[in-house]
Amino acid sequence: MATTTTLTISNIKMFARNKQALFFTLFSPLLIMGIFGLIGFDRPTKFEVGIVAENTNQQTQAFVDQLKSFPTFDITQEGRDTELTELNDGNRAAVLEIPSDLLAEGNSAGQPKKITVYTNEGKQAEAQTVVSILNQFLDKTTLNIVQAPQLFTVEQKSVNSRNLKYFDFLLPGLISLSIMQMSVFSVAFVFAQYKEKGVLKRLLATPMRPYQFVTANVITRLLVGLFQAAIFLAVGVLAFHAHVIGSYFLIALCVTLGSLMFLGLGFTVSGLSKTVESVPAIANLIVFPMLFLGGTFFDVANMPHWLQGFAKLLPLTYFSSALRAVMTEGAGLGDIKWDLLGMVVWAVVLIVLATVTFSFQEKDSA
Amino acid sequence: MRVKTLYTTQVHFMTAIIEVKNLSKKYGDFTAVDGISFEVQQGETFGILGPNGAGKTTTLEMIEGLKAISGGEVILDGKNVAKQTHAVKSVIGVQLQASSFFEGLNLVELINTFASMYNRKVDAMELLREVQLEEKAKSEVKELSGGQKQRLSIAVGLVNDPKILFLDEPTTGLDPQARRNLWDLVEQIKAKGKTVVLTTHYMDEAEVLCDRIAVMDNAKIVALDTTENLLKSTGVNPTVEFKTLTAIPESTLQQLPGVSNVKRESHFYFLTTNQPQSTLDGLFTLGRTNNIKIEELTLKRATLEDVFLKLTGHQLRD
Repeated sequence: MATTTTLTISNIKMFARNKQALFFTLFSPLLIMGIFGLIGFDRPTKFEVGIVAENTNQQTQAFVDQLKSFPTFDITQEGRDTELTELNDGNRAAVLEIPSDLLAEGNSAGQPKKITVYTNEGKQAEAQTVVSILNQFLDKTTLNIVQAPQLFTVEQKSVNSRNLKYFDFLLPGLISLSIMQMSVFSVAFVFAQYKEKGVLKRLLATPMRPYQFVTANVITRLLVGLFQAAIFLAVGVLAFHAHVIGSYFLIALCVTLGSLMFLGLGFTVSGLSKTVESVPAIANLIVFPMLFLGGTFFDVANMPHWLQGFAKLLPLTYFSSALRAVMTEGAGLGDIKWDLLGMVVWAVVLIVLATVTFSFQEKDSA
Repeated sequence: MRVKTLYTTQVHFMTAIIEVKNLSKKYGDFTAVDGISFEVQQGETFGILGPNGAGKTTTLEMIEGLKAISGGEVILDGKNVAKQTHAVKSVIGVQLQASSFFEGLNLVELINTFASMYNRKVDAMELLREVQLEEKAKSEVKELSGGQKQRLSIAVGLVNDPKILFLDEPTTGLDPQARRNLWDLVEQIKAKGKTVVLTTHYMDEAEVLCDRIAVMDNAKIVALDTTENLLKSTGVNPTVEFKTLTAIPESTLQQLPGVSNVKRESHFYFLTTNQPQSTLDGLFTLGRTNNIKIEELTLKRATLEDVFLKLTGHQLRD
């Protein structure tokens, strides 16, 4: 045990003194969160709408002013030619041409006044939304004018009383993603380098057993993983007002299991890479699909059915699901037991795979 | 009647601390080491000489327990290397040819880390002092020069106070000063009574450090003896080389004292002699008497090249 303890301490020292690794581990979570937090997925979308309305009478002008007050519309009125040019360039969702006498005294249903909507083929979705909003507003205006009684009202009540935002959904995904990246790449690179440079060979010449060295490295990286998760949580909660509901102990448990899974994967990649150069190629091959299918940025449920089955079995999915359940829903041990089981199974599989593919010795080749 | 024991006699046998018996290593069809045998006595310094590819490093690594043995056996300190590999590692120290240490630790930490692998505690500073690296105690490995790295390697190889120290090409790539320093270090280690086994392709190194040498070529041992005996037995003598624009008949040169062979390549002459001083004396007299200008005069000692060529019939370096 004394050997493993000394090795672990030395390993931690080596990691802490590696400026590059340190920067990557501490700064990248902040960077990622900064980007996602600031992109602000929750902010309502605004549509840029151009209005062409010349010589409008008083009522029509009032109508146009109302349009300008819509929070979802960003109205510009720079003259017909300018607006149509901007539309062509893709800077407008739609351009509305409103006749000067849209609303006039004695409007009668006979000949409806026409609002022409110019759209850009490349922005169909946005244009449709603008048209839809416009139609709604016109219907309402029509009803007001004919003074029809309001028969219905709609009240929106949010069931999600916790007031969760997309960022709350995202944070557990980012944590699990970050742990995966660090565990796989850090181990794979370092050990592929050790092998290439002959560091492992020198170690083999001593009575130290390989598992002692591996254990020291695993413990080091587990601690770093927990530390990284802590940074994510601290910054996420303090700077971006994320809500963490569940128990921190369970979060730590998930992070530990997740780290173990991906450390096993890291060692496997290291074993499969003949040279240090091939590490990113092999690692990315495995990690990249999981980035998108692992339930980090969007829910697995949003995927087509045939893909869902596959995605649900990925190690990252079990990890991010468990973490998300704990952080956003306050799930207890019982609630996440299937995800935890999935992680344990994956951890065992990957560790066994690692022992098969990775060895301290070079293959016996001439 | 009680017989008092007046004295006791202890009989020491010269024990071979390493016995290599018919050792071989095969990679598929390729034989890297072909059934070699030799013994290393306790306390001696044993050298394996040979060109690259001869099988020196493979031999060494099999004895160290780093490479699997294809055939034969190695008994080290009474233990069978193949069967008791782990036990063997505790009593040996190694300096490998192509290997590195961790980055991120200073020398003291590095030595302590390696010591822990033997479940030992050592005085790291003392060890660094022995190899004259105490000033670099707080530096990292990457800040060391080539010679310093080799000295560090040896220090790490000594953390467990091993009975046998293995050095694989310890001075390859070092400048002359660094080489000398390393030789001094090895002499210090020898003085402690440790057994040293080294590989090299430098003749002078073998002469200075080794008690006996095995010459290896193409997976086999072609000679095994002390340096002196090797030189004498293979009959390779020093050569006097010089250049002169005046043609000298070879027969004249043949008659100089000690000369056994004369070779000429355009303006260059090569005289093999077993009495270099007499030959030179005679050559100078010849030059003075006949007003011949002798240029680029060199006295070349027998090198491994010559020994090797004699033993194997081909060049040491391709």
